[in-house]
Amino acid sequence: MSWITIAWSMMASAILTLALLHLFIWFHQTRQWAHLFFSIAAFAVAVTSGFEFLIMRAVTIEQMASLLRWGQVPLFVIWVAIVCFVRFHFNAGRLWLAWTTGGLRALALILSFTTGQNLFFNKVTSLKHVAIFGGETISIPQGVLNPCYVLGPLSMLALVVFVVDTAVTLWRRRDFTGRAIFLCSCITFFLLVMVGHGFLVNAGLINSPYLVSLSFMPTIIAMSYELSYDVLRSAQLARRLQASEAELRISEQRMSLAISAAELGLWEWDIVHDVIWSTDKGLSLYGIAKTEQLGFNQFLDSLYAEDRDPVRKSIDKSLASGGNYESEYRVMLPDGNIRWLAARGHVEFNKDELPLRMYGVSIDITRRKQTELDMQKQCNELAHLSRVAMLGELSGSLAHELNQPLAAILSNAQAALRFLEQDTAELDEVRDILNDIVDQDKRASEVIQRLRLLLKKDETQQRQPLDLNEVVQEVLKLMRSDFANRNIVVKIGLASDLPPVIGDRVQLQQVLLNLIMNGCEAADSVKHRQLQINTLWNGNAVQVSVGDQGRGIALDDMERIFEPFFTTKSQGMGLGLSICRTIINAHNGQLLARNNADCGATFYFTLPAYPEECT
Amino acid sequence: MNDLTATVFIVDDDPAVLKALARLMRSAGLKAAKFASPQEFLDCHDRNAPGCLVLDVAMPHLNGLEVQQTLTAQGSELPIIFLTGHGDIPMSVQALKQGAVDFLTKPVHDSDLIKAIHDAIEKNRLARQARAKLTELQQRLMTLTPREREVLGHVVSGKKNRQIADDLGLAEKTIKVHRAHLMVKLKAQSLAELVKLAERLEVISSPPD
Repeated sequence: MSWITIAWSMMASAILTLALLHLFIWFHQTRQWAHLFFSIAAFAVAVTSGFEFLIMRAVTIEQMASLLRWGQVPLFVIWVAIVCFVRFHFNAGRLWLAWTTGGLRALALILSFTTGQNLFFNKVTSLKHVAIFGGETISIPQGVLNPCYVLGPLSMLALVVFVVDTAVTLWRRRDFTGRAIFLCSCITFFLLVMVGHGFLVNAGLINSPYLVSLSFMPTIIAMSYELSYDVLRSAQLARRLQASEAELRISEQRMSLAISAAELGLWEWDIVHDVIWSTDKGLSLYGIAKTEQLGFNQFLDSLYAEDRDPVRKSIDKSLASGGNYESEYRVMLPDGNIRWLAARGHVEFNKDELPLRMYGVSIDITRRKQTELDMQKQCNELAHLSRVAMLGELSGSLAHELNQPLAAILSNAQAALRFLEQDTAELDEVRDILNDIVDQDKRASEVIQRLRLLLKKDETQQRQPLDLNEVVQEVLKLMRSDFANRNIVVKIGLASDLPPVIGDRVQLQQVLLNLIMNGCEAADSVKHRQLQINTLWNGNAVQVSVGDQGRGIALDDMERIFEPFFTTKSQGMGLGLSICRTIINAHNGQLLARNNADCGATFYFTLPAYPEECT
Repeated sequence: MNDLTATVFIVDDDPAVLKALARLMRSAGLKAAKFASPQEFLDCHDRNAPGCLVLDVAMPHLNGLEVQQTLTAQGSELPIIFLTGHGDIPMSVQALKQGAVDFLTKPVHDSDLIKAIHDAIEKNRLARQARAKLTELQQRLMTLTPREREVLGHVVSGKKNRQIADDLGLAEKTIKVHRAHLMVKLKAQSLAELVKLAERLEVISSPPD
């Protein structure tokens, strides 16, 4: 077997292998058009090598002319495929240059079939059999050249211009630079070699077989290398992606482990379409079945009725202010139980600052709330005990407060009876008396009402807007006869512009009672039996102060007096002030003490004013 | 100096109680005067006015016991009935020791209070009567001459005319004249009556020999 047969068939099969390989890749990634055009170009090169082989082995002139004519078809295909490859692979190249290149080659193809015997020869006159390296003999056409032959080099030039232009564009774009320039120079160089060599053969200047396919071979290899670089890179990317996917999976696993360990429910609310997505845990926290289509209203419905409005307001606020959302509320479970949840979230906005979505977590805080409530309950019980003890100390005074109206009623009633027994009954007088009896009865029942309130054991605080001046006056009413018994003068300065505070009336009364009773005890020990009770508004907070003219507080004891079980009295549990401070702290206020400049001490507490706009 | 002019002075810082007590007095046919504070009462009180005082114990600034002390210091004979909300034994003992006629707890039953008031007014009347009598006697005593007073001292100490005459270095006859004069001036019918009068007037009898 001759070496030409071996060499050309090996070349063709190598190129075909590449063509098939990239065709296969294209089949799997049909968007990668460069692979398709490469394989088309490679097929065409392989076909061209077939033509070359047949030309070398041509026996008749007709056979030669016909092979040269039909050989233009794969060349045309190569041209078009290379242009397309460059355009699709590099996403560059001027379109008009591409069309020009393709057009010139198409024209060459047409002229090959319409003028002379083919593009090269008007007429092939003879076949020259030349011996070449290795003792091989090949056929070379000889004849009259076709003037249209010039279209071949022209189209080649156009292709070179197109390719060089593309390389320049890419270089300017700083895209693919090294690879593109290499590939383009490769194409350019071998095109020049091929066309030059072809011309020399056709002109009969050298005795050589056509080396079109051989010239294209490096180009094809360079193109394949270029493509395989991409394949390689995508393989690397795929590997990296796999690795990062694995990492992602691990991190997701960790995340879900953390979420399930923390018993968090994740949720996301698509505000525009009003659709809420949540993890299963999240749904079960709210007692919502998985199948339900969830919107904002369904979410609200799952809440405890009293909490719906505050939650809606809180969400509206974070939607309007663009902040984070934080809320604690109760949900009503289908089995009738109540669960406390805490939710935290964040709102996302579009560029027009309209809320798009909100996402966050919810967590079951029932146990914490229960503990809080238990503690609150204990605190309230303690406060109640202390209140009862204080009222016990005040019993004399309280009895007096009840006794006075009863005394007035009895005397009035007996006076009325006496008037009625007289012959000339003074009916007007009796009417007055009865009116007074009604008034005094009311007075007595008010005292009882106040006592009942203070003695009542409330497990929860009853917060409401309060006028502290009123609270002060109520307490003073209860203590009035105590002051008289102890011979204490009480000076009262109530601010007229006092804004309301939010609080528990009974507990604040308790604090005041405690402070005033302490003040009375301090006053007992000295000559100046005077108490000064003031209320004032400093623009931020409402302050109530109880000042005495006693001995004052030792500096060391200034903070300790608020500690539980600390007492300076001979008979005292040492709980009063500590309970008072607990109460005031629970009202977001402060209870403090200071010694007066002259003598005695002043205890005062401040409470935040209740904002008017909320009422 | 009769019961009709006797006034019940009521002092209580609780206006409702004050008004009710005053009414009760009126319904019982008594004349009442109301005072909302001890100071108000002390400021306008005429210590010669007949009647009695109904005083609340627990009052600011000046309590009932202090009012009682002030009145005593002023030499007032006004009987005091204390009213208190809660029976305080040490306080009632002190009040009674200081001469209170009664110590009643509120709410007070009308009959108890009115009886106590009548008793107090009667006591006041008698005291005033006794004082008036004494004043008259003192006036009679004032009419005696020094020598007659001297003789009176000797007479009430139980001496005979002769002994007196010897003691004073006077004639027995002169003593008899002095004795007759002073009996007339003091409006004494007998020696026994004279001794009783002298006792009331706290005439110091001359020391026995």
